[in-house]
Amino acid sequence: MKRALDSLIDRNAVDGYAVRQPGGVGRIGQEGKQTAMAADTAIRFEGLTKFYGQQRGVEDLDLEVKAGEVFGYLGPNGAGKTTTIRMLLDLIRPTRGTATILGMDAWKDSIEVRRRVGYVPGEPALYPNLRGEELLRYLASVRGGVDWGRIVVLTERLESDLTRRIDTLSRGNRQKLAIIRALMHEPEVLILDEPTSGLDPLMQEVFEQLIREASAAGSTVFLSSHILPDVEQVCDRVAIIRSGRLVAVEEIAVLKSRAFRSLELQFAGPVPPEAFAGLEGVSNVVVADGVLNCDVSGALDQLVKAAARYTVVNLTTTEPSLEEIFLAHYGDHEDDGAG
Amino acid sequence: MLGSVFAKSLRDQRQSLGWWSLGLVLLTASIIAFFPSIRDNADIEELMKAYPEGLMALFGASDLENITSAAGFLNVELFGFMVPLLFIVFAVGLGSGAIAGEEGRATMEILLAEPVGRGRVVLEKSGAMIVATVVLGIVLWVAMVVGAVAVDMDIGPVRFAEAVLTVTLLGLTFGGLALAIGCITGNRGLALGVSSTAAVSTFVANALGEIADFIDPAKWVSPFYYYNDANVLANGLNPAHAAVLAAAAAVLVGIGYRAFQRRDLRL
Repeated sequence: MKRALDSLIDRNAVDGYAVRQPGGVGRIGQEGKQTAMAADTAIRFEGLTKFYGQQRGVEDLDLEVKAGEVFGYLGPNGAGKTTTIRMLLDLIRPTRGTATILGMDAWKDSIEVRRRVGYVPGEPALYPNLRGEELLRYLASVRGGVDWGRIVVLTERLESDLTRRIDTLSRGNRQKLAIIRALMHEPEVLILDEPTSGLDPLMQEVFEQLIREASAAGSTVFLSSHILPDVEQVCDRVAIIRSGRLVAVEEIAVLKSRAFRSLELQFAGPVPPEAFAGLEGVSNVVVADGVLNCDVSGALDQLVKAAARYTVVNLTTTEPSLEEIFLAHYGDHEDDGAG
Repeated sequence: MLGSVFAKSLRDQRQSLGWWSLGLVLLTASIIAFFPSIRDNADIEELMKAYPEGLMALFGASDLENITSAAGFLNVELFGFMVPLLFIVFAVGLGSGAIAGEEGRATMEILLAEPVGRGRVVLEKSGAMIVATVVLGIVLWVAMVVGAVAVDMDIGPVRFAEAVLTVTLLGLTFGGLALAIGCITGNRGLALGVSSTAAVSTFVANALGEIADFIDPAKWVSPFYYYNDANVLANGLNPAHAAVLAAAAAVLVGIGYRAFQRRDLRL
């Protein structure tokens, strides 16, 4: 099933997203695009702060997203992800600090910024009395210069039905329209607020493929989510926001290298927990009915040698999800401020 | 019909505009059909004179004009109260919905994600409000002209056009107020409430100014004074008064234009 899906996606990949410059594959082509910019920074926050009266939305965000990067913006609900994103679109204004997109001020140069940005809102409210096609024609007209052929391709890939009135569509089908809308003008920067919510797994795959293609064509992607596995597949780096403050910015690979593995060893007979508890890098040791469960960071050598003294029936290991890594590393740093 | 914010805003009004037009035509036709039985009826003239001056003022017959004349009849029955009321309600509905309505339904977020300035959105939506109200005015004008011919009223198309213009401008003044409050607050209910209250209080202030001297200075701030104090149907358009209404509407739209660019969207 998975394989069939992949081949389906690959077959459609080329016509879905026009490559903007020759050789624009992967990270390689991105330099050519930002020639005029001093740095190849697509999005930059400097002390970005938003208060709603006394209540903190976000505070003192400093962040740089490189051009061509797929950047994950992670945090629990209410952490300030949507507040941040709305400041990028000039829907709300910062209390202090600045946000810069493609070298332009998100507030003063907002119209030009929005010309070059594609946006999927967190809760897309689309005109309920319009049909999908009418909505897209309207927004494309307001934007100007949109190739309708591009919309047709996106519609086919996302299997969206443009003939139905929006108020008859499910959440996922409305989300598809919002995604088509964000991608229709092949933006240089994509800002996506929980874009996969409501999408079924099949469509999530298609969406991730579209994101990869956009990135391969040189676009920068800023993707928020509260579900870590969602961004694991597509992102190069992630920032983690909590209660309105950034708590970490990491490459996905670094996060993963910090990983511990969860192991389960099944023995032929009972084993003493003491035999494993003191070993270097081994934690959370639980032994019951001849089954050992523990977490290991670093090399497995000591654990394997200790286990070899007993009869090992089975050994299974689980790669941690980002969620587990996140909780292990940052779970203690919770800031209980407002927001 | 979906090529611009202006076009879509008008498109959103077409159904409502159709029903309003139908209602206005029916009202106008039924009132005008009543005129032949009133015309040159000395008994009714005597009856009207017996009414207290203040009551007559509230019904728009400010200077005790002759209700048995066409202009006096139309002022009392249509232009004194019903027609301005309808134009105000219509324009206030459009004005309050223009920005605050779209914000309340949260569709402003996707519209403003496109590269269109907020000021431009205000102007295009104001334009749609103006055009829709003018179309309603044209419907009224046609109904009046046809009705006048049918019952042989001695008022010509130009004079009707002048009266329709003033009532359209009156509606747009309050529509502009509703739009401005919507732009400032993003709250449609507030825009409706404040505009309605303003319409009622300025109407009463102007009407009572006719009979109570201490209120009289207040009429200078009442749009109703500039609307028909000069009795357009009898005396023709008062350009200065019409200009005051047009300027008020323009200033209010201008206030909305500035205010909407300065604040956070309500999301």
